[in-house]
Amino acid sequence: MTAPGKLVLALPKGRVKDESVAAFRAAGLSLTDGGGDRALRYDAGDAVVIEMRNGDVPTYVELGVADAGVVGKDVLLEAGARLVEPVDLGFAACRLSLIRPRGAHGTIERVASKYPRLTGEYLRRLGSGAEVVKLTGNVELACLTGLADAVVDVVQTGATLAANDLEEVDVLLRSSARFVVNRAALKVKGDALRGLIDALRTLPGAY
Amino acid sequence: MITSVPDGTRFVLPDGAARRADVVDTLRDLYRSWGYDLVEVPSLERYDPAHPRAAQSFKLADRDSGVLALRSDFTPALAGLVRSHHPAVAGGARRPLRFCYAGTVWHAIDPELARTREFTQVGLELIGVSNARADAEILHLARASVRAVGLRPVLEVGNPGFVRALFDVAGVPRTERDAVADAIDRKDRSDLRDLLVRVGLDLADGAPAAALLQVPDLYGGREVLDHARAVAPWPEPLREIDRLEGVLAEFEDASDLALDLAMARRLAYYTGVTFRAYTPDFGQPLLGGGRYDGALLPAAAGFSIGVERLMRAIHGVRPAPEPAPQVLAIDDPGARRLRAGGVRVVRALHADRAGALDEARARRIPYLLADGRLEAIAGDTGDRARLEALLAGPADAASAATGDRDGATAEGGA
Repeated sequence: MTAPGKLVLALPKGRVKDESVAAFRAAGLSLTDGGGDRALRYDAGDAVVIEMRNGDVPTYVELGVADAGVVGKDVLLEAGARLVEPVDLGFAACRLSLIRPRGAHGTIERVASKYPRLTGEYLRRLGSGAEVVKLTGNVELACLTGLADAVVDVVQTGATLAANDLEEVDVLLRSSARFVVNRAALKVKGDALRGLIDALRTLPGAY
Repeated sequence: MITSVPDGTRFVLPDGAARRADVVDTLRDLYRSWGYDLVEVPSLERYDPAHPRAAQSFKLADRDSGVLALRSDFTPALAGLVRSHHPAVAGGARRPLRFCYAGTVWHAIDPELARTREFTQVGLELIGVSNARADAEILHLARASVRAVGLRPVLEVGNPGFVRALFDVAGVPRTERDAVADAIDRKDRSDLRDLLVRVGLDLADGAPAAALLQVPDLYGGREVLDHARAVAPWPEPLREIDRLEGVLAEFEDASDLALDLAMARRLAYYTGVTFRAYTPDFGQPLLGGGRYDGALLPAAAGFSIGVERLMRAIHGVRPAPEPAPQVLAIDDPGARRLRAGGVRVVRALHADRAGALDEARARRIPYLLADGRLEAIAGDTGDRARLEALLAGPADAASAATGDRDGATAEGGA
């Protein structure tokens, strides 16, 4: 630990990180832009920031390497992590949906997804015996090539679906970015975190 | 020959084993000094689908068609001990029983997120009494356990009875309680609001269901108790707050206690005060426990510590308990005297001085004892005066203390 007592924040690379940093600044944290494109971990002033793929954020926060972080509710549910989720930040809003080629009918035999756990639960709830294939890249491709007859994936505007002649047939859940906190950190660094939580909740769109 | 061990199990090498034994002994000594009696329970149990961890247990086929389970938790096992050996207490008689334990438990889980499948639990139970003084004793010993191993404790203390009482007042349907309690426990107000709306409860200001929306934020210092009273001013929730306040009143110094009334896990199991212990710069709980009246026994509370996780937390904080062997000895009577004084003495496998000298060098043992003389192999380590004093002392007490018999120390020789 290079910075004892300083908050350690796990943030996903990309746009969510930029929006998160903006939210933290609006909530009163003084954060610098960090150590250039390749820095994975840097002291940003009021907090140490570590950057990672969004799917890794729940792990870093659950094991306490980071005190808190920002991650989509969809990713959080897929990870099954036990974290404190005190603020719905409102941004990065999307739906996790079942998607099929436009006009497709008949039973679904195979579903491809980056969310195998949530997809499996959803299919079991429906009583479907379809198999689940885990993919890590562009899952729309699975539908277009016939690898699977449906996919479960994130839909934001629907433009990608329309462009590929796919349609959203069911919504599994609605997601948005959450401020997540390690349970131990909330007790040990309670003063710093509580102030941040209260301030984040007052931001537009947050709850 | 298979050389790998099953997933989630491992070998513990000498340094690690010595450190673990030291920590387990320290905790058992603490509990013994408070009047807790050490007990043992079987590692093999009859498989019972109603066991709280039935789904996680390793099952084995017995010789007759029965199914056995490897012990997955000490608390139900101790409840079994009480039912068979203290039936009056198991039947509701109020008489305190104080037990502590240390041993292995097994969980047939995916060994993910840094969890092993075979681990050591140390803990205690105070059975047959249910009041604030008993709750405070358990809480105090949980905090003392963390301090005893050299860590600074922060205890998260809650009372799921408060959430349950509020559920009753607000009329949360049984079928929805687990999901609502889970959202409260995660402080997820967004999920919580959606759930309560879906259930169709009245969320107008002052309505009991609206009070539930504020429970996630009821954490902090003692001021939380008054906030909770303002949020939930109905008799049953108030009684649960009073109970928690009664427990806190037993503490002269409650500075390490962090209250959290949103603790609502295992609502059907825990009935009163529950807690977890944390320490700075370690992101996972060191121990957990609470009161579970009526779950396994009419009145019982306790906690358990996962030794593997505790060892990770104290890594680098607590010094190694046992020094490396200090003396290699050809001289058996002298070795007896040193061992009686607590020195680790290795018996030389060479009877000649030159061979023993090589042996000591190879094993990095700093002193050689031959023909009644102590030799420093590579310069004096500063222990010489103490070792010489022990060698000059009487030998009689020594043989009784170390179990060495006259002359021949290689017991049961080949």
